[in-house]
Amino acid sequence: MSNVSADLIWEVSRPYNSFLVQRKAGGAPRFSRDPLNLTNLHSRKYAGFVNDKAIGIVPNEKGGVQVISKKPASANKPASGVYKVTYGGNKTSRKTYKAVANQAAKNGYRPDLRPAAVARASAIRRSQRSTKPDPVKKPRGAAAKRAAADKQ
Amino acid sequence: MVAAKKHIPIVKKRTKGFMRHQSDRFKCLDSAWRKPKGIDNRVRRRFKGNLAMPSIGYGSNRKTRHMMPSGHKAFLVNNVKDVELLLMHNKTYAAEIAHNVSSRKRIDIIARAKQLGVKVTNAKAKVTTEV
Repeated sequence: MSNVSADLIWEVSRPYNSFLVQRKAGGAPRFSRDPLNLTNLHSRKYAGFVNDKAIGIVPNEKGGVQVISKKPASANKPASGVYKVTYGGNKTSRKTYKAVANQAAKNGYRPDLRPAAVARASAIRRSQRSTKPDPVKKPRGAAAKRAAADKQ
Repeated sequence: MVAAKKHIPIVKKRTKGFMRHQSDRFKCLDSAWRKPKGIDNRVRRRFKGNLAMPSIGYGSNRKTRHMMPSGHKAFLVNNVKDVELLLMHNKTYAAEIAHNVSSRKRIDIIARAKQLGVKVTNAKAKVTTEV
């Protein structure tokens, strides 16, 4: 356990912190760049840098996902206090979700983050698929007439 | 690109602007809204046939406020890292590339947005070339 309570850290760092991204337009959303934040939302529940126990899911360079979680015992050593597990891109996604869900909720680690963790793992896996090239646009109007004239 | 979350229809209660009183009569008077304050003012007293004054009743439903016709809200992005914030929100937010981003970096942003399924509102700006 840390000497400072998570609630106090949150009260202090809530107005502004290095992870926070604010915009004025679009309903003034507040996002967080924290790697230990599953939804990228600036909120107490998902703020990984605040809570003693937190889970983050980041894309793995060689495909698949890397799950980061905090060790509550080493709260005073943030650099060595993270636990990293990688689920590669060749593992089936269902197995990955199962493993992520287990890691989030087993032993009562953070059962409330289980759906968010699975959703993020799924979103990352989906983003790693190859993208289709955009279909070639058909010429319209004057350009179409010109193309037809060129053909003849 | 992912379609926006299902939402109730967007209703704009008024699409015309609010004109400043007597801005139609004097060419030096700008039409930007100013509340009439005069004691006898007929616009302020809401007489029949006079200009409408802005009021909170014209506001949009909170569920559709700030929404574009596509159902997304715009989120200004300057770089690829900003687009990655929208990974879990591609059904509510669309990325809008800031005006001062070069075409070289726009290409990276658009490519990353496509991978993440994030809609980019101004994807054609500065990237397309005239044929």
